[in-house]
Amino acid sequence: MAAQDRLTATLTHAEINAPTPLRPLPLLRVDGLSVSYGPHEVVTNVGFELGRGESLALIGESGSGKSTIARAVLRLLPSGGRATGRVAFEGQDVLGMSERGFRPLRGRAIGFVPQDPANSLNPVRTIGAQAQEAAALLDEPGRAIRKRLILETFAEVGLDNPQRVYDSYPHQLSGGMLQRVLIGLAILPRPALLVADEPTSALDVTIQKRILDLLTRLQHDLKISLLLITHDLAIAAERANSLVVLKDGVIQEAGRTAAVFSSPASAYARKLRADVPALNPDRYAALRDVGFRTLKTGDAATPKIEVSAVTKTFTVDGTTLTATSDLSFTVPAGTTHALVGESGSGKTTAVRLLLGLEQPDIGTISVAGEQITGRSPEALRSAWRHLQLVYQNPFTSLDPTWTVEQLVREPLDRFKIGTRRERDARVREALADVGLGEHLLSRKPAALSGGQRQRVAIARSLVLKPDVIVLDEPTSALDVSVQAGIVEVLLTLQASLGLTYVFVSHDLALVRQLAHTVSVMHRGRIVEHGTAADIFDNPQQPYTKSLLASIPSGVADPANPPHARPRLMAAAE
Amino acid sequence: MSNAYLAYAAKRLAQAFIVILLAYVFTFVVVSILPGDPITNVLRDPQNGFTEDQIKQIIAAQGLDQPIPVQLWTSLSHFVTGDLGLSMRSNRPVTTLIAEVLPSTLILASAAFAIALLLALTIAYGTQFLPKRFGQGLLRGFPSLFLSVPNFVIGLVLIHVFGFQLGLFRVIAPDSFWATFFAAVALSIPVSARIAEVLIANLDKEAEQEYAAVARGRGLTQTRLFSKHLLKPSSLPVVTVIALAIGELLGGSLITETVFGRTGIGSLVQRSVSTQDLPVLQAVVSLAAVVFVLVNLIADLIYPLLDPRVKLIGGRGRRPTTTDDSATATTAAVTS
Repeated sequence: MAAQDRLTATLTHAEINAPTPLRPLPLLRVDGLSVSYGPHEVVTNVGFELGRGESLALIGESGSGKSTIARAVLRLLPSGGRATGRVAFEGQDVLGMSERGFRPLRGRAIGFVPQDPANSLNPVRTIGAQAQEAAALLDEPGRAIRKRLILETFAEVGLDNPQRVYDSYPHQLSGGMLQRVLIGLAILPRPALLVADEPTSALDVTIQKRILDLLTRLQHDLKISLLLITHDLAIAAERANSLVVLKDGVIQEAGRTAAVFSSPASAYARKLRADVPALNPDRYAALRDVGFRTLKTGDAATPKIEVSAVTKTFTVDGTTLTATSDLSFTVPAGTTHALVGESGSGKTTAVRLLLGLEQPDIGTISVAGEQITGRSPEALRSAWRHLQLVYQNPFTSLDPTWTVEQLVREPLDRFKIGTRRERDARVREALADVGLGEHLLSRKPAALSGGQRQRVAIARSLVLKPDVIVLDEPTSALDVSVQAGIVEVLLTLQASLGLTYVFVSHDLALVRQLAHTVSVMHRGRIVEHGTAADIFDNPQQPYTKSLLASIPSGVADPANPPHARPRLMAAAE
Repeated sequence: MSNAYLAYAAKRLAQAFIVILLAYVFTFVVVSILPGDPITNVLRDPQNGFTEDQIKQIIAAQGLDQPIPVQLWTSLSHFVTGDLGLSMRSNRPVTTLIAEVLPSTLILASAAFAIALLLALTIAYGTQFLPKRFGQGLLRGFPSLFLSVPNFVIGLVLIHVFGFQLGLFRVIAPDSFWATFFAAVALSIPVSARIAEVLIANLDKEAEQEYAAVARGRGLTQTRLFSKHLLKPSSLPVVTVIALAIGELLGGSLITETVFGRTGIGSLVQRSVSTQDLPVLQAVVSLAAVVFVLVNLIADLIYPLLDPRVKLIGGRGRRPTTTDDSATATTAAVTS
């Protein structure tokens, strides 16, 4: 598609929805909105205004009601949800309308970009078939013309091969591509309002940045108003003109971004700001310095973990995939080494190799002086006394039928450590170490919050008094404030017990808060390696630089500020 | 159509053929080892008046003095070429006997199947979109109700109400349109219940999926959402249920044909069982096996066309991905 054609098409396309005359009333005005499920009220008396071409972010943690508000505005509340109050779109009360009356606004006037791209498209229909539904909202009778507009939109949102995407089924595309498709489908009918519900929470950081840039650019070029729902204050501050901070369904603070972000008035907004790792790289400096001192004075000649030249390949249907290639790093005792990379970078394979769950093709791994590679499963058992894992998802890694006591105690029983009484005492001690009270002992995982579950998982790995803990994205399933608590627990334990951590994460901001040394992984290789200061303050490799640039800073990109004047598409291309 | 699909289809077809042959061998062996010798019973029936010499001649001519494996081989090779032998009662070819009654049963079964599908779809659609105050809950109770009423009771009630009371059809003319229609209705009700049950459960599940909300956000009407988005993924498990329900149609047609006084496979089976007409029985059992295998073959062939995510055997495999299911396993491995 020639650029000229694209530009013309976009212009005629825009003329279909002729510019509405400017009116004093805001595009979206929410007044006294409350949402309840049965007797349970999840959103209470929320109100805000979103002007034409403006962007507003609803910020809060899980359970804050931010997604519920979005769903209420879209009239997509799950069955049983009841919204009261007033949601006025262009002056019309949306909540009071009949479904028949509201339907013409769906897609055409109000677009929706959902949170989880993998589950937001029908798995048994092609992308093209679903795109045609969005295209049907344009008053364009020709199917061929509609298809051309779809392909143009796919190109516009940065999909490389629009025709291939059009013919694909959702499972054939990556999460980033699917999110682009969904954004494309939402903007195709040129809505006046785009509601984006955590549009990047399921994506890698570099893809997150690209998707957010895309949304910001489209918002300006197409003069769309953006209602952005996010848990990340830094993203919100970077992308929105105004912020609304929510907690338990109640507004804590609202106002222009500059004011709310730089000088939050409410205690909750201040806490939220303090918990965002990207904004507070040195929050745990005092605790982390213990490890840095060890790094300087410690005996670097005998590192706790030594990985040398490890290569692992998998053969799937005759194709050989290199999961890790020539992986080497050492971790001195009492410090944290971070393995950083995006999906597919080989982090997970590295973890499995480190634990002896996979054997490398070439290379050796030793932990605490013991060789991990080439061991029999029985011999690995003894290594696991000193080497434990905390898995990334506490919602699936704990057996739901066991109590907290059983879960934490199991390793002691398996390794037959101590008498019954000593085991009981050890379990209580481990729980106390992670900040959990004894009253939780008889609870089952379902009765715990995400943060509590991950603390149980940490206690379970601590109970054997290991030297080394492998932390595989331990906070990626948790809210920022819960994450902050876990990070603090981990650093406190390291400072007091001299633990050695291998911390696997895609979140550079988090790594900056707690790591002493860092390896950046890309496509199975370590592309850059050094102390935290080297990597963060003086990155050498372009890939590391791009990762660092993807960290939301809370400051709008000067090249693409949220309050910039609308520009023509051609200028942005 | 991809090569992977054709390879898959060829493999399934070969499997189906083998299953049919095995089913034939199995019935043959079962009949041979059953106590009692119906052939001798027939031949020695005084009414037929055969002499000992004639009996010997017939047995030799039919190859019945051969060892069982030889008889099996002869019979199987005839079966493969479509020759099902002669009925022992009427001396007419079994294929002719079946051909006479098959159309009537086919009409009944396919009408019943169509009605069952329509009924199941209507009930399922209603459970999704009928407002609660218009009896959505009642509709959801239909499948259990349908399953709990025996087939013949439904048949008798239909005959009484529509045949005798309303006079829509005459009981003595079982092949008239309305008589066939109501016989099909009686036969379809339990089958529709099975289909509706699975369909409703899956529609409920799919309607909760995020993609349904997103599609609604795209301005789709309820009807389009149902037909374009929810129906296809919900009918995937239904394909399997339908394949099983065909068996119910076959068994049910036997009772329904009796209740409505129709001639069909059911009545043929009934007659053959009471007269121990082995070649006919063997043929009908084999026919049932063929129908079953064919229906399941069709289901297997349709499935990958409906669900693009299905991995075909002989087709290209997808790369394995690490899922959260492995979490507990990984943690457990490290602990033990």
